[in-house]
Amino acid sequence: MDDAPDNETVISTRINGRRINRRIENRLTLAEFLREKEGLRGTKVSCESQVCGACTVLVGGEPVSSCTVLAVEADQAEVTTIEGLGTPAGLDPVQAAFADCTALQCGYCTPGFVMATKALLSRNPDPTREEIEHELEGNLCRCTGYLPIIEAVQQAAARIAGTYDPHAAHRPYAGHLKEDGEPYRYVGRPVERVDARVKVTGQARFAIDIPFPDTAYAVAARSDRAHATILGIDTLAALDVPGVIAVVTGEDLEGLYPRFGHMVPDHAIIAIGKVRYYGEPVALVVADSRHAAYDATRLIKVRYEDLPAAMDADAALAPGAPMIHEDTYSGDTVSLVKVVRSTDNPNVANTIDLGWGDVEAGFAEADLVVKTETYHPALYAFAMEPYNSSARFVDDVLEITSTAQHPFMVIKDVARVFDLPHSKVRLTVPFIGGGYGSKSYTKVEPLAAVGAWASGRPVKLDLSIEESIYTTRADAARTTVRSAFRSDGTLLARDIDIVLDTGAYVDNSNTVLSKATARCFGPYAIPNLRVRGRLVYTNTVPASSYRALGAFQVNLAAETNMDQAAEQLGIDPAEIRRMNLVPRGERFMEGKRPMDTDLVEDFDELMALLRIEPHDGVLQAVGFGVGANEGGAYPTSTAQVKMSPDGSALVLSGSTEMGQGSRSVLTQIAAEELGLDIARVRVFQSDSSGTSFERTTGGSRTTTMTGLAVQRACRDIVTQLLSMAATNWECAVEDVSHVGDRIVHADGRSEEFGPIIKKWYGAGGGEITGRGTVRREGELQMQPSFWEIGMVGVALDIDPETGVTKVDQLVTVADVGFAINPVGVEGQDLGAAVQGIGGGLTEELVYEGSQLRNPNLVEYRVPHINDAPRRFDSVIMERRDGTGPYGAKGVGEGARIPMGGAIAAAVARATGVWPTSLPLTPERVWNLIQEGRRRQDEHPV
Amino acid sequence: MITLLPTFRLSRPSTLEDAFAGLADDGIAYVGGTELVAAMQLGLISPPHLVDLKQVGDLTGIREEDGLLAIGATTRHADVAGSELVRAQAPILARACSLLGNARVRATGTVGGNLCFADPRSDVSTALFALDADVRLRSAQGVRTLSIEEFILGAMDVDLDDGEILETVLVPPPTGAQHYLRHQPTEYPTAAIALVQRPEGLRVTVGAIGERPQAFDVEGLDAVEEAVAGMLEELDVIEDLNGSEDYKRHLAGVFVRRAAAALKESIDG
Repeated sequence: MDDAPDNETVISTRINGRRINRRIENRLTLAEFLREKEGLRGTKVSCESQVCGACTVLVGGEPVSSCTVLAVEADQAEVTTIEGLGTPAGLDPVQAAFADCTALQCGYCTPGFVMATKALLSRNPDPTREEIEHELEGNLCRCTGYLPIIEAVQQAAARIAGTYDPHAAHRPYAGHLKEDGEPYRYVGRPVERVDARVKVTGQARFAIDIPFPDTAYAVAARSDRAHATILGIDTLAALDVPGVIAVVTGEDLEGLYPRFGHMVPDHAIIAIGKVRYYGEPVALVVADSRHAAYDATRLIKVRYEDLPAAMDADAALAPGAPMIHEDTYSGDTVSLVKVVRSTDNPNVANTIDLGWGDVEAGFAEADLVVKTETYHPALYAFAMEPYNSSARFVDDVLEITSTAQHPFMVIKDVARVFDLPHSKVRLTVPFIGGGYGSKSYTKVEPLAAVGAWASGRPVKLDLSIEESIYTTRADAARTTVRSAFRSDGTLLARDIDIVLDTGAYVDNSNTVLSKATARCFGPYAIPNLRVRGRLVYTNTVPASSYRALGAFQVNLAAETNMDQAAEQLGIDPAEIRRMNLVPRGERFMEGKRPMDTDLVEDFDELMALLRIEPHDGVLQAVGFGVGANEGGAYPTSTAQVKMSPDGSALVLSGSTEMGQGSRSVLTQIAAEELGLDIARVRVFQSDSSGTSFERTTGGSRTTTMTGLAVQRACRDIVTQLLSMAATNWECAVEDVSHVGDRIVHADGRSEEFGPIIKKWYGAGGGEITGRGTVRREGELQMQPSFWEIGMVGVALDIDPETGVTKVDQLVTVADVGFAINPVGVEGQDLGAAVQGIGGGLTEELVYEGSQLRNPNLVEYRVPHINDAPRRFDSVIMERRDGTGPYGAKGVGEGARIPMGGAIAAAVARATGVWPTSLPLTPERVWNLIQEGRRRQDEHPV
Repeated sequence: MITLLPTFRLSRPSTLEDAFAGLADDGIAYVGGTELVAAMQLGLISPPHLVDLKQVGDLTGIREEDGLLAIGATTRHADVAGSELVRAQAPILARACSLLGNARVRATGTVGGNLCFADPRSDVSTALFALDADVRLRSAQGVRTLSIEEFILGAMDVDLDDGEILETVLVPPPTGAQHYLRHQPTEYPTAAIALVQRPEGLRVTVGAIGERPQAFDVEGLDAVEEAVAGMLEELDVIEDLNGSEDYKRHLAGVFVRRAAAALKESIDG
């Protein structure tokens, strides 16, 4: 009864037990069918190349990549998706184990992992770690560092077998006492993430899951040149494609402000006049369906005249280099960071000089001068949810849903495009499927908005991973560090030169440069310093923030330099660090906060745990490193807490939840402050028309800055409740106090919050609102708000014959003052460190001619489950010395800073040769081994 | 740059006769789709008509046929890996199919699809080269049987006529101990080594490194060490992001030696 047209098929299937018959297009993938036709959006799509497993569903009980399998394969088959397992109230054992082990952060990979685990355990009910790694090798997680997932699979097996013991499950944690000797109830202890249940059940909604009603779809046509003048664009054939509503080119943006960029508005929404990199949008097609839009983009003909291209910083700095930006955009600059364009080379987008003391004198005094030059390649952060945005105009208001980490910063860019007041741009950010800084600032929102403006329809713009790679990457860096040492290892002076390749547009790279220049020499006390940083335009993908921005790129050179000095001076490399680490209270950067922790003590904790476990047939060595970030970004935060007459609390915050666990931490803080059970607190985040302002969600700042704002808003609520209770009871406010979840009178009477509010308003009650504001004042006057410390150690096993390098042990130290959620702290450190393993061993964007050779997850290798460290030790230092609530400091980026240098040092110790660039791929390590042997033969010790 | 599929017709014949009719009508054989759909998504090919062979019963299953191990082309990797018969008759093929791709590819992809796509890094073809397997091809006009070496001409290139399908893989009876070792630091293997003992000596097959697997015959396990240098010289190597020619040639030597040591240990132990 196949009466469908040629390109369609009638299928009869059971999805999660529900029988359905449908006529579907043959070209529909199973993921498209499930997500878009059946509304089962728990199944996620990411790599679209069968590598990542986010789209895993079961067909006939077998796992498949639904992004590549045709929907017609569901015919006569039983399909099980994440929605077919448990619910938040009744979790499947696998889901329960993932929630309990915190085997998730952003949650975007979680449905795929849960389904893959179901399939694995149905075949092998008691898998070993090796078997788990083999079966889950095809599922990627970018947040957790995998170890909690392995633990969850084992726990799930035990739950199914009936051998699970909840009491023996996790490492015990002591908790903290308040000043009055009472224990904290909700902070300072591990809690299940408040978003765990919606994430393990696939109910969590990400921007990509939320189209506006009646949406049209946009697809960009992109440049296939690195640098070319646009002579003309023929859009007629595209407009003829059935379903196409509009085709927008740069010329059509007349009347709008056609560019964006929160620092330098150099970024054309759609290329105007010329293209500056391969992959840049040259036209946007809006159509009734994504397929129609896509088909139409292929019919757009652009006539170009090629220009010479500068594909790296050296080429862009060379005499006679092509000019990439003719305009300086100086009239429009809104940057917080001062932008200094070089006069000698138009491709230098910004320069920063930093220093103090007398560098020449320092070098003159030196017993040893060590020079180190390293190259850190461009990276792709690979947040698993690709960049996407929906936009529509409703009642003169531009409404956008997107993956933005910093919605309030994006509003400024978008409002300028359409000359709208900020109040008439509404930006909503649901759960973000991974950010790591790569979703900071404006990305695809203006493009989606322009599509809505041109078509008069709501528009959804979902990039593929390849398009995402061609949207933002991390800056590549060439760093030269020259250091002067006394013979005992004391640092006398450092002279550092940094060149960052920002690609075609600046985006946030001015900050990357400013961070790189500030993070390249410490946390060491250096009497004489000179740092020169240059930011260079090239005809490559625009570069911007990525976890520990600027720091990880230059730390490689800085820490390698310390290790080389130790080697040349015959000093223990740990000792040379102890000797130079900034002591607590010492100001090591002019005008900045003095060091706010005991670095040597932290470092001793690290070194005490780091050890080689002997294995046969491998070269073994340890490497370690330290770094410091200025944490907290700019200290501007606001929060509101609304308390309803039922006594429950709604926290409104403009921060975003991208996996880092901010929603849980803010919930814990509110519960602690109000004395309410966690179940009675809801944190609602990041809707610019509903929540209060938050500057950014980056710089490891949410726990401290937003946390303070929430704490203050809760205290405002308590103050109001005390006053209301006093009014109700007709007593003095001094006679009432806040104890637990009640207001208590000195005479022993007490009442819960709800009745107090009801009684105060009368007749049904109203609602009270507490406000919390954080600005640069008091303890936060001195910046940074805290130093985020990065300390890691690795023990490597290197196969001497192949160069394949494995991290056998990872040790991290999180210096967090007070761990509001210790499991979250550990997860942030492990996740950051494992991203660092990727940067250290495998990740690198490689250009070949005008385009990338590896713009996909098949060839851009991020850590897989079998790349996680065999052993992991997490140290959490809690001295309650931070400026955040309860003495907390931020976490999330620290461990990323020194990973590259630590891995490089271990490789150097194993091979006898210092690497000068990352990643240390097997072939590069093998070459170092050969080089080491040659040197050994020439100069036997 | 995004990966949406072009439109196409789909037919799902249940007999070979209908399958051939479909192929004659601008059709291309389609089974698991792990390679074909991926290639279509990348825009490398856009066939107007997919002929799904999964319902053609004659094309699937594992059985013995005239003393040979016969594996239907549409048999999935996971079924090959799990088959007692394959494990007994051609352990390296079972091993290769248990390791390739990932759990989803093994549950979806098929032996025939893998061979017809002829990816140079195919574990299936490395194992079948090592086993001296044949492939039976069938068309409306008739049947022909080729050795795997004759069938796989090079990277993404096979001796398959228009209208012809790969019907069955035929593996001769085991000739001695076998070992399969692959080296896969990234998404595909960088080197795959298959060793098969035969009455006349040892066959060493090096896969994933050149355009197609390369087989070398040596006198026996003890002769491997001596023969390695000569093998490496002859080896055809493709350079890519996983390694330069020199490095990959070196890797081949490392893994041939390791495979030989492992095989020796399994025999002695």
